[in-house]
Amino acid sequence: MSQNAGEKTDPRDLVISRVLRAPREALWRAWSEPELLKQWWCPRPWTTDVRAFDLRPGGAFHTFMQGPDGGTSDNPGSFLEVVPQSRLVFTSMLTAGWRPNTPWLGFTAIITMTDEGDGCRYVAQVMHPDIASCEQHEKLGFFDGWNTAITQLEESATAPR
Amino acid sequence: MANYSVSVSEVFHALADPTRCAIVSSLGYGAQTVTALAAPFDMALPSFMKHLTVLERSGLIRTSKLGRTRTCELVPETLSRAEKWIAGQRAMWEARSDRMVEFVERLHQQEQPHVTKRRRKD
Repeated sequence: MSQNAGEKTDPRDLVISRVLRAPREALWRAWSEPELLKQWWCPRPWTTDVRAFDLRPGGAFHTFMQGPDGGTSDNPGSFLEVVPQSRLVFTSMLTAGWRPNTPWLGFTAIITMTDEGDGCRYVAQVMHPDIASCEQHEKLGFFDGWNTAITQLEESATAPR
Repeated sequence: MANYSVSVSEVFHALADPTRCAIVSSLGYGAQTVTALAAPFDMALPSFMKHLTVLERSGLIRTSKLGRTRTCELVPETLSRAEKWIAGQRAMWEARSDRMVEFVERLHQQEQPHVTKRRRKD
């Protein structure tokens, strides 16, 4: 599954791909069970609170992250499409019951899972809309804090890959 | 004069078009006159000017007129701001995906003790 060969992607989009030495069943569990999801959703020392998790189209998907310095990130949203072990689509642009939302960070993410060799492939396509509102958040220094958290994580983890 | 209150979304809109992307790349080598800049493009000048207008409005380029010659140049600060934003998002998702992969592989190993034994001593 080579993606986007020759196809130009929108500069606002991200496509992230990984091959896992684990079956799709395990990958799906990590995404569909909130108790598992919260363990990897944000970088330590940040913690994730899954405030709502209703795994069906139009069902709530609401995460709340908290940092050690008192920083928080509240991310209500909803699922748009749920195909067990193969496809999960969610957005911050709508909350439960398809209610329109004006998020601080607008996005829709399409997660796809396919078999590959002994394991599986994970592809996340993250699309961003009119992101003018994000500038406000940028001014508040959110991304500085967030990127610091990521850097700390990367420094502390010498992940063999 | 340069528009400093430009929104990041306008920058992305401006860059979403292949012609405008190519114009920006071309200006990366330095300021050019509109005539020189338009030469490689198989496009009527009015259409080309429309692309320049979109780019100028987004704050990615600025133009100045001296006599009859209009010159275009890149505003590097604008590009780096948009790039920075998307780079921040990419960094977050890349790191999240790495944590997820590690987590899922560990989960799988814990559920498959025999496989783990065969593959690793501990």
